[in-house]
Amino acid sequence: MSLYITSAVIIRNQTVRKNGSVAFQSSETNVHLFLRAIYDYLEVSYTRFHKMDALNKLGWAAAEFLLQEIESGFVDKESAGIVLANKSSSLDTDERFLESTKSVASPALFVYTLPNIVLGEICIRHGLKGENTFFVTPNFDITFMHDYTEQLFESEAVNACIIGWAEQYHEQYEAAFYLVQKSSMGLQEPFTIKALEKLYE
Amino acid sequence: MSSGVWIAGGGVISGIGMNLSECITAFEKMQPGMQEMKYLESIHRKTYPVAEVKAGNDLLASIAAESIYWSRTALLSKIAAKEAWQNSGLSEISAYKVGFVSASTVGGMDRTEYFMEEYLHDNSRGRLRNAIYHDCGSITDLVAESLGIEDFISTISTACSSGANALMYASRLIQSKMLDVVIAGGADSLTRFTLNGFNALMILDQEPCKPFDENRKGLNLGEGAAYLVLVSDRLAEKLQPWCRLSGFANANDAFHQTASSPEGIGNFMAMKRALEKAGIKPEDIDYINLHGTGTANNDSSEAQAILNLFGNTPPPLSSTKSFTGHTLAASGALEAVFSAYAIKEGIIFPNAHFATPMSNFAISPVTSFLKGKNLEHVMSNSFGFGGNCSSLIFSKDY
Repeated sequence: MSLYITSAVIIRNQTVRKNGSVAFQSSETNVHLFLRAIYDYLEVSYTRFHKMDALNKLGWAAAEFLLQEIESGFVDKESAGIVLANKSSSLDTDERFLESTKSVASPALFVYTLPNIVLGEICIRHGLKGENTFFVTPNFDITFMHDYTEQLFESEAVNACIIGWAEQYHEQYEAAFYLVQKSSMGLQEPFTIKALEKLYE
Repeated sequence: MSSGVWIAGGGVISGIGMNLSECITAFEKMQPGMQEMKYLESIHRKTYPVAEVKAGNDLLASIAAESIYWSRTALLSKIAAKEAWQNSGLSEISAYKVGFVSASTVGGMDRTEYFMEEYLHDNSRGRLRNAIYHDCGSITDLVAESLGIEDFISTISTACSSGANALMYASRLIQSKMLDVVIAGGADSLTRFTLNGFNALMILDQEPCKPFDENRKGLNLGEGAAYLVLVSDRLAEKLQPWCRLSGFANANDAFHQTASSPEGIGNFMAMKRALEKAGIKPEDIDYINLHGTGTANNDSSEAQAILNLFGNTPPPLSSTKSFTGHTLAASGALEAVFSAYAIKEGIIFPNAHFATPMSNFAISPVTSFLKGKNLEHVMSNSFGFGGNCSSLIFSKDY
């Protein structure tokens, strides 16, 4: 089966890179302010954004850039899946929720004490209804992610898939999102481990 | 399906029994496991009943033959995984290429809570041995090492559908011939963190939960662990497998983080695609083990999705959470063990505390333990926060 990386977004060091080129840069070193700067730059009105924790804002932002211009290219959003991984799960918000329990436990924070909530936010935003999963791994294992994705397509579980890494804990953050599709559009990069690695560099 | 995935055995520990046979007896005797909290320390002790495993960590450690400093989640995990292996008919773990896929949402947080009590008071205090197994993956690693599993280890954390997703993943590992055997399921112990969180969401019932009842008021939390032993065609030939994992699917409801869409779109799609994968029609399903948490929202969405898919005469159905409570990441695994065992034994589980059908839906669960049934196909539903919806189908022999 021929699969293609049709879009790729890397967010790290106050910079968003799309398909290898810088798409946005900010002087904000604080993770929350940096993500807010991305939101303002995108000029979209999406009030849910302000309710999200930093991990979800990061995933939301990466998906916005990833699907820009290409979203209409999804043939079937009902079978567009998402597979993400990170190393710190939802620990950042877990800590904040724990803090809130000293006074009144916050339902708004509790919602974000699961790593897969970021999948839900992206699905809600873009209407994606395919298979989802979230892995917690010590580092971004590109080979694993590649093989897992290939198998998802081979077993016809998905027709298109967002895959990648969405990591945030306190001030450290990094996102690497790829859109994988069956037809060669957008970036038109064959879906190989090497190509994923090169885009991640 | 290209190659089969068979259920060679299963194990479970929950608020209604320390092993599978005790759990089945509790269903038969209509003995749900919700009681006043005994092992979890919480200010909500008198307010919310929970389905705790009826043993302290010292007893669990002795059953598991592990240290009492292990997380309760890990102790439950090891006990259920070991039972699953023992009744699979397989020989030593070292004789096969074996994987361990375990789901958890709390991991070793039960012990971190002990640590934090001291640490928050004085940050030069607290025993680090209580915090080192905090993350979900370390619990899986701990148990895998203890069982002697080295070939493949993975942890899945997708809220309340985690256990079902672990089984889906395991099934693919066998179909792709990466492994001969996978022990797959999940484990979660009760923690103050989850109790306070679900309390904050205002979806806990102060009485034993009443899934699919008009007067349902919410869920009860539970704890436990359950695993199935999945094997390939080749190994199944030499064993007496319970049944086959014939279909599964996962879909996102794409509606709300903690609520299901009123029509249960994600629920519907997961069930429909699982049927497609199994190559069967809705009328072929002989029993549905519901997600059935007992919250107003879940049960109405699930009922609507079932009526949309199965028409006005759905198959017999029930929520075993009315006995075990909602065991979070373990729930999909517990219910998969019960569903697979239902096929093997020809039984249907009752739904406890059901009195009044929902006014908007013509759907009523089974309320007594049924024996002597010929079940060809059983469906098990698991839906989680984040819109994560999964459905599994177990089939007799084709």
